[in-house]
Amino acid sequence: MELSAILSDDVIYNLARGPFVWISLSVCIVGTILRTIHFISLTKVEKRNIRIQRIGSIKQKSPRNFSLKDLARFFSNLKLTIIGTSPTTIVVSCIFHLFLIITPIFLLAHNILIEEAIGFSLFSFSERFTNGLTFIFLICAAYFLIRRIFLPRLRVISSAYDYVILLISTAPFLTGCLAYYQAFDYKSFIILHMLTGELMLMAIPFTKIYHMVFFFVGRFVLINQNTLGKGSRAW
Amino acid sequence: MMEEQTAAVDTSFIRGMLEKNKGKMKLSLSVCAHCSLCAESCFMFNAYNKDPKYMPSYKFIHSIGKIYKKKGKVDRAALEEISINIWDRCVLCTRCYCPLGIDIPSMIALARRICRSQGVFPRYD
Repeated sequence: MELSAILSDDVIYNLARGPFVWISLSVCIVGTILRTIHFISLTKVEKRNIRIQRIGSIKQKSPRNFSLKDLARFFSNLKLTIIGTSPTTIVVSCIFHLFLIITPIFLLAHNILIEEAIGFSLFSFSERFTNGLTFIFLICAAYFLIRRIFLPRLRVISSAYDYVILLISTAPFLTGCLAYYQAFDYKSFIILHMLTGELMLMAIPFTKIYHMVFFFVGRFVLINQNTLGKGSRAW
Repeated sequence: MMEEQTAAVDTSFIRGMLEKNKGKMKLSLSVCAHCSLCAESCFMFNAYNKDPKYMPSYKFIHSIGKIYKKKGKVDRAALEEISINIWDRCVLCTRCYCPLGIDIPSMIALARRICRSQGVFPRYD
């Protein structure tokens, strides 16, 4: 068989739509579980009863005793946190991460394919709505890119790897959007969309995208001054 | 003032120290999103006119990150350059805040231990 035939759109399309999906999903799930087990194994159960006095935290009060003054103090204390020092970045970051997760999960076209494959799927947002989410997501990604290029504090710690990671996480959205609007050749872009999506899934456990798991373990399970939950383990 | 310039660096000893702390160090370095949100939590960053070289992430990446990247094969000049980040630019007050939960002070403390083991540390006399 000629190389051009092997690399023809149909062959790649069928591979990207079929086996590559399952391979990338398996790599993502198994890799993430194994890395998390390794992460947890680096920590140990903390038996001491450590009281964490958070800076600027307000005392737990029942809602009945909660006065307007307490509320004002709560918002005033927020100014001391990264919400106060970098409010735009925090808002953009929250939207970026939330949409990164929910857009592909509740996308109609994805759910039709999942339904075809396993006979079950989650509910879907309307196409118009997911379209809006994608646009907002891309604007957030552009914000991160501009910030990384122009802010001196980011430039001193940035390397090509940081740009590659941003590209890996944004490419599936960009290619998906271009395919949806059929701006260029639809088939090429939908193949590119599938391949970049699969690449992103496989990158989760092996790259710094793993911070999505590290955050939850680091902030909710490990005990430190900034623990968000009760915390039960220590390094 | 730093220790003698000519003394050799025991790279195998440094490698041993890195190996002992590999798990936490490797994970911390690999998940750092280079977001710079830790910057304002450092009082030195604020005091020094928001110079990026005072950011906790910069100090962490350019100390233990550098040593780990070179697998411990660092010369004295490199250790002295690193020592600026971990002593002159950090008082190890442990107030730095990473939104992801990376334990930056312990990483800087490790870099200090490595430098100190090779006789690279500040002297005030």
